[in-house]
Amino acid sequence: MIKVVNLYKKFGNHNVHNGINLEIKKGAITYIIGPSGTGKSVLLKQLMGLIKPDKGTIYVDGADITKANKKQLLKIRYKFGMLFQNAALFDSLTVYENVAFPLREHRKLSEAETMEIVHEKLKLVGLSGVNNRFPSELSGGMRKRVGLARAIALSPDIMMYDEPTTGLDPIMTDVVDDLIYTTQKELNITSVVISHDIPSVLKNADYIGMLYNGRIIQYGTPDYFKETDNPYVRQFFSGSKDGPIKVF
Amino acid sequence: MRFFEFVGKIVLDIVHMAGRMSILFYETTKGIFKPPFRFRLFIKQIEFIGYKSIPIIILTGIFTGMVFSLQSYKGLNNFGSGEMTSGLIAMAMILELGPVLTGIMVAARAGSAMTAELGTMKVTEQIDALDAMAVDPVHYLAVPRMLAGMFSMPLLNAICIIFGVIGGYVVVVPMMGVSSSIYFENMVLYTNLNDIIDSIIKSFVFGIIVVIVSCYNGFNTSNGAEGVGKATNVSVVESAVLVCMFDYILTSVLIL
Repeated sequence: MIKVVNLYKKFGNHNVHNGINLEIKKGAITYIIGPSGTGKSVLLKQLMGLIKPDKGTIYVDGADITKANKKQLLKIRYKFGMLFQNAALFDSLTVYENVAFPLREHRKLSEAETMEIVHEKLKLVGLSGVNNRFPSELSGGMRKRVGLARAIALSPDIMMYDEPTTGLDPIMTDVVDDLIYTTQKELNITSVVISHDIPSVLKNADYIGMLYNGRIIQYGTPDYFKETDNPYVRQFFSGSKDGPIKVF
Repeated sequence: MRFFEFVGKIVLDIVHMAGRMSILFYETTKGIFKPPFRFRLFIKQIEFIGYKSIPIIILTGIFTGMVFSLQSYKGLNNFGSGEMTSGLIAMAMILELGPVLTGIMVAARAGSAMTAELGTMKVTEQIDALDAMAVDPVHYLAVPRMLAGMFSMPLLNAICIIFGVIGGYVVVVPMMGVSSSIYFENMVLYTNLNDIIDSIIKSFVFGIIVVIVSCYNGFNTSNGAEGVGKATNVSVVESAVLVCMFDYILTSVLIL
């Protein structure tokens, strides 16, 4: 579905990616883990062409998106839905208008049809009665769910989640994890998730890739990750400050 | 050596910025002719840039007209030609003060808010979200604003000129004792249609400048709340300077 080959990205003098190779399998949930500041969000944005890599290729369904022009990129993005770290809801629009936004932009639907889809998506993420509220009046968890509803409004083939559970309480974390799992199973979409939350990763993931020092240093199934003796993985999973990953 | 490095860097930065603003202007202009036409957003921006600027434009116009006529009446009266003040006011308001003051006031009022809004959208990833939903941010955000600027500015300019002339009337006629009919007669005598057309062209261009500079700074905001503040500040300064700069360029072109 998505194949990343030898990806390099530099911001100023800081090398973010030093040759990433990664394959995202169709219909699976792939988690990208790694310490903060290793360019996980940047990787996600490159996958959907929001940021251009310095070197390397990214194939989405066989097409190289690093060589696509603006018009082709817009077309490729129809395949994607993205849940941003802080949901990135439009704060000048209500919840209803936010979810209806992609529909109004890309589908020529009557208002009744739009309303039906919006209600269906909001029901899927377990929200009702908040249609006329503005994003600033919602809690963090609710905002993420509205963001998810908006991202799946156009029924994308690929869903990207940028730290979907960061900043949520444990119960809401479980709710959002469940949502990722059920939307994946119900809509049969390919998911890429960035997360720090080890229990979520082990529970939901089909595949895990660990990003460190600008490379994918380990890739495999959750079972593999539980047993590997890769010191980087072990340190990250145990959450210890002592080990090969240097914080200071 | 360091001095040349310093100057070189400033020049390069300015050229770089001018280039990117020109690209934004080009893309926005192209976007005007691309469907869909976002009528609701356009009207919303007209309300924001145009309608809500009317009170400050009226105040600016009136007081500028009043102080200008006070000063010029004093000067002209030394030569015994105090009643020509109205011609001077009308000409100055139409050719320079109207378009330039409107440009600067709109930059301060609407341009700053526009940069702050777009800048906040940028740092909260709302602009990325537009991109991610395959909606071109320039088409969705910059095009309605630029159209509204192009449309509102000449009208605001007209309001500014009219109230400038009224302000002049208040000072020259009741206070200085020039007769009302001479005031209007001289005003018409010293102005002509070409001046008014030049004035409209100027304010039209200033409308574009203010919106493009504001959008450019909004789109290129980084570093959170501090960045939004900085971008807003820079945006108003750049708009004001560019309005003055283009005022000279346009005048020299139009005068030929």
